Amino acid sequence: MHRKSLPLLLALAVFMAGAVWSRPGAAESEYGDANAQPAPFNPQMSALMNMLIQPRHAKLGLAGKAENWPLAAYALKELRQGFLVVSHAVPRWKGLPVPDLVDAAVGNPIRTLDAAVKMRFRTQFDQEYAKLTAGCNACHATTDHSFVVIKQPDASAFPNQDFELKR
Amino acid sequence: MKLPARGAAGVLVAATCMLSLAAWAGGSGFGDDDDNTDEAGPSYFGFVRDTAGATIPDAKVTVSLKDRLSIVTRTDALGTYKVPGFGTDANPNDVEVACSKDGYKQARVVRRSMPNPDPKIPVETECTLQRI
Repeated sequence: MHRKSLPLLLALAVFMAGAVWSRPGAAESEYGDANAQPAPFNPQMSALMNMLIQPRHAKLGLAGKAENWPLAAYALKELRQGFLVVSHAVPRWKGLPVPDLVDAAVGNPIRTLDAAVKMRFRTQFDQEYAKLTAGCNACHATTDHSFVVIKQPDASAFPNQDFELKR
Repeated sequence: MKLPARGAAGVLVAATCMLSLAAWAGGSGFGDDDDNTDEAGPSYFGFVRDTAGATIPDAKVTVSLKDRLSIVTRTDALGTYKVPGFGTDANPNDVEVACSKDGYKQARVVRRSMPNPDPKIPVETECTLQRI
């Protein structure tokens, strides 16, 4: 072995030793301890938005586009419920009052969408859905998340659901 | 001491490996120093509403640090304003909020949240306007 390659080999040995030393043990992966008590599920704002709001906003738009009013009514109710859950789960996000922001952003559009769905009035639905979507984006701007841009769905992300009304 | 070229390279690689190992093991972080929010003190946030509770976009809001300086801004589409902090030496209790809009007069100003130990949490103050 060349003496010149000794520092390189030494460096490699240090690196490998460190790698073995800092690896989690067999009982504890980097994702936690399998034997730990289950922790309460406490999803934060981004998870709640992804789980409860964005899909319901999309389903409402798809149902309205298909003029499937019973489904639209259900999706709107679910969306409103989602906002209630978010507001109760995270009443203040980074110090900002979530219930007030939700009300200011989507309160009126949700109320007028409810009327449009009950009247089965497509034009009114489209106008109010656009206001709802604008409200989402206004709230994202207020909370420094204007890079999250919501829009009317142009395709379904739910291949296992038929949005057309079955008579 | 003078190292031969390859010896010096080896030492450099060793040092790099050790540093990257420290970072990988969670022992070091970079970039946090760029965040100087703590030095700005709490920011100031709030809604401007009418007496019925409806939010008012595009209202003028003046946030003043007593006897020192004022920041003027306007409410956004949701009727909210936000201004940065005046520095850690500014007492939030010395900060006053006023609002105005054509056709309205200021009815009241209510502080809705107190200064938080976390300087990133804004102080919330609501301003209510009444139609003239």
